[in-house]
This record gives sequence, structure tokens and C-alpha cells, in this order.
Amino acid sequence: MTLAVETIGLSKSYGPVRAVESVSLRVGRGEIYGFIGRNGAGKTTTIRALLGMIRPSAGSVRMLGEAVGPHGRGPWRRVGHLVEEPSAYPELTVRENLEIARRLQGLEGSAATSRAIERLGLGPYADRKAGVLSSGNLKRLGLARALLHAPELLVLDEPANGLDPAGVVEIRELLAGLVREQGVTVFMSSHILTEVDRLATRIGIIHQGSLIEEIEAGTLEELRSPRLEVEVRDLDTAQRALAGAGFEAIAHDGALILTQAEAIAAPDRVATILVNAGAAPTRLAIQQEDLEAHFLRLTGGTQ
Amino acid sequence: MSSLLAALWAEGLKARRSRVIAATAAAFLLLPVVDGFFMIILKNPERARALGLISAKAQLLAGVADWPTFLQILLQGTAVAGAMLFAFVSTWVFGREFSDHTAKELLAIPTRRATIVAAKLLLTASWAMGLTLAMFLLGLGIAKAVDIPGWSSELARTSFADLLLTAVLTYLLMPLVALFASMGRGYLLPLGWALGTMVLAQIAAVLGWGDYFPWAVPALTSGVLGPRAEQVGLHSYLSVLLVFAAGTLGTFIWWRSADQSR
Repeated sequence: MTLAVETIGLSKSYGPVRAVESVSLRVGRGEIYGFIGRNGAGKTTTIRALLGMIRPSAGSVRMLGEAVGPHGRGPWRRVGHLVEEPSAYPELTVRENLEIARRLQGLEGSAATSRAIERLGLGPYADRKAGVLSSGNLKRLGLARALLHAPELLVLDEPANGLDPAGVVEIRELLAGLVREQGVTVFMSSHILTEVDRLATRIGIIHQGSLIEEIEAGTLEELRSPRLEVEVRDLDTAQRALAGAGFEAIAHDGALILTQAEAIAAPDRVATILVNAGAAPTRLAIQQEDLEAHFLRLTGGTQ
Repeated sequence: MSSLLAALWAEGLKARRSRVIAATAAAFLLLPVVDGFFMIILKNPERARALGLISAKAQLLAGVADWPTFLQILLQGTAVAGAMLFAFVSTWVFGREFSDHTAKELLAIPTRRATIVAAKLLLTASWAMGLTLAMFLLGLGIAKAVDIPGWSSELARTSFADLLLTAVLTYLLMPLVALFASMGRGYLLPLGWALGTMVLAQIAAVLGWGDYFPWAVPALTSGVLGPRAEQVGLHSYLSVLLVFAAGTLGTFIWWRSADQSR
């Protein structure tokens, strides 16, 4: 089966500034790919290149098996998108804005417009001018436009940004439902890492224009599992002592990692074993790294 | 429905819902109203003198109250007002997509970018020609109501042909304004360009090069710049067509190829 999104060595420079550098992505059908990075990391540039809005300086982009660009060519009938902050013609109503999108998508009949309005809960605002919508409802309008033509692939830039907590949950459920029931592929960037963590089946982290890590859902689970980290001066002695007491300790980065529930439930017992073995711990802590902590560690903390 | 019809429908809806149609119509239709006002003044010299400055200005511009004068003022007004108002329309149709950040919604869609540009250019052409036609019809009504002498159907026909030629020549300069609205991603660059070319057209006409300067050609054709209108020839029309071709081609190429990073 063809990939939903494939980039090979995608690079984009603006003069001397390299916004995106040799990003190679492979997103399979039915995946929810979370694309995260700091401000200016290259998320939106990558998304714009995926959608043929900018020409890559190097590399290539394929969407749903079809080459994108260089003159706006692409499988756009099968792709829905929301790029950066949603925009709309302020003097037109929500329905009229969607009608324009529907006709430019080449869809016959206005049933698709009504469906999109209903799906995004825009019914009460359908005849209201877009210029007076709240940012949350403007976001819903943008999402309604992206979903209007029942696309196979959704490319969404910060889809939950600006929504209230109920809206965030609603969009999460909507996207999960689309993937589950219709096999839609979602490629989404977000700053709301908890949302990405909950929704994505795979996550790509972009930093300073480069894709520095891709995390599978299984790895995310591992990240979320608590573990006991023990630092000692004599790793071998400590590892032997713990093994003798029935604890499996894995040496990693100059520390021992214990993942058994018994060890996590009784760190004092682990400490006693080590002291008795003459390898007293210099640090002993239960760690549970979530996506946010992992992301911050990879991209250089909170500075 | 063909994609061009869909794009035209979309552009039409945006225009209908905006206040820009009403604003440009009000500005353009003011021309025959003012023209009619001049005719009223010129028809009654005693009252005109009593009005002081206004009557002096009316005499300076017009001279006599008759149909040929009325239609000549209308024609000259079209060249001047058209240059600004058509530029304003082109600027709005193209530039608003960037100032409202809606351009990005027109890029990754099945309707080709060239189709959208074509629809926008067709809309601005229809808009400009519609304004011209409405102004001429209103002018006929006003002149009839003012009851000035000198009417003939031949005069109306030739005046309309001249008016249409002036309006078409003015419109042909507008795709370049559309290109600047796209490149400048807003209103400032195209409106600056329109104002700049108006000033340069005056200078070119004074220097006697107006017939070679495309932006002076509509005004020369209308006679607003005086007897130099005779200079307008094939070379003048070709220069206007060259600007039209450059503007149209440039706008299509820009929309097709330029990075849309904002």
C-alpha cells in the first residue's frame, strides 16, 4: 500500500536560514502522526511543503502516492488541511465560507456543507458572519473546511490551538473517530503535547529544522511506565546484589534501571539491599517520563 | 459545474458581500452627477455667476451646456477616475486574500491556481465594465433630466464607443496592479503603484511622450490631456497590450510558482 505522506531529504532554506533540513518522513495509511517541535523548529514550513505551498530547496514530497508540486500539483481532492491560524472571509457567513470551499473542491450539492456544519457543532453559527466568530469557532470553521470533502488524509497544523477544554476533547474524539471508522490518516502538529500523547500512534520531533526522533506508540507507553533509577559508584556489585535478591536491574547511562512493580513499590528495600552489599546508592528516584519531559530533554529543556 | 464557473461564483459572492462594490459604484457614479450639476450651472449663467467660485470652475471645465460637452466630461472623468477605481478593485480582489490570510485556502485544492487567477481577472474586468456601463446609463438619464441641447443617437453611439475604449484601455493596465497586490501581499504596493503611474502619466504627457507611456494612453484617448490625443496610435495601443500581457502572465506565474510562506 502506498504511504500517506512521504518526504525524502526535504529541505527548505530562506536565504542563509535553513528552516528545514533533510527531513525524511514516512507516514502509513491510518496513522495519526504527531509532529512536534518548538516555535520556529520547522513544523509549519514542513507542513506548507507537504501541501505544495512552498517549493522545497531540496528533496521531494509525495502525498497518497502522488508527487506534490512544483506548481500546486497534488492529490488535493483527497487531502484536507488546516494551516496555522484558520482564516475566513469575514464578510461571509460560516455557511457561505464553506460553500466557497465546497465549490472549489468540485463537490456537487450543499449536503456536504450541512454535514460539516453539523459535525463541527457550528449549527448555531451557520448564518453568522465569520468576522464575528470567536477564535475557537473560527478554528472549527477551518476544521469543517478541512473535512468538507471527506478526505483520506488530514494535514492539520495545531488543530486544537485556541479551543476550550471541551473543544479540545471534541476534536480529539472527532479525529480518533475518523481514523477508527473511516481509516483517515492524520498528520498533525501541535504544541499541546498531552493531546499528541493521547492521540498519536507515532510522533516525530523536529528541532532546528531536523527530525531528531520518531517515537512509536509502544515506546511512548514505555516512557510513561514508572521506573526506579539508582545511581551507585560500583555498578557491577550493585547489579549482582540486586539480581541475588530477585530484581532485574539494567545498566543505562551510568545508572541502574529497575522496572519491576516490586522495586517501584518498595524502593527502601532496594536501598537496604545495596547498602548491605556495600554499594550504597548515591541517588535513588522513581522516574516517569511523559512526552513533555522527553521532548524538553531532547530539545534542550525550558530555555 | 466547471472549476472556472465555481471560482467565478466564489469571487462573485465575495464581491457581492463586500462593501467595496457599493463604495466603487458610489465613487464612479458621482461622475455623471457632478457632470449634470455642471450642466445645470452652465445652463443658467446668472445663477452660475451668483454661485461664484463653483460657476467659474464649471465654466473653466466645460464651457457650454450641451450633450457633446456633457459626454466629453464623462469620458475624461472615466480616464481619471477609472485609473484609480479600477486599480482599487484589482487591489482588493487580489490583495484581500493576503490581508485576510485566506490565500492559503486557495492553494492546496483541486481547483487550479490558474483558474482562480482567471476568475479574479474576469471579475475585475466585469466589475470595471459594469461600472462604466452603469455610469454611462446614469449619465444619459441625468443629461436627459437636465434637458440640454445637442442630442443625437450618433453622438451617443460614438461617445459610448470612446468611453468603452477608454475603460478597456484603463482596465488593460490593471493585471499589473493585480501582480503587485499579489507580490506585495496586500494593498500598499499596488495602490502606491497606481498613484505613481498616474503622476508619471501626467509628466509623460507634458513632455510629449504620453503616446509611448502606457499609463497615459487612456487619458490621451479620452482627450483629458488636451489636443495631444491625436498622437495616440497603434504603438500606444500596443504598449498598453504589452503591459496587459506582462501583468496577466506575471500574475499567473506568481500564483503558480511563488512560495506562499505567510
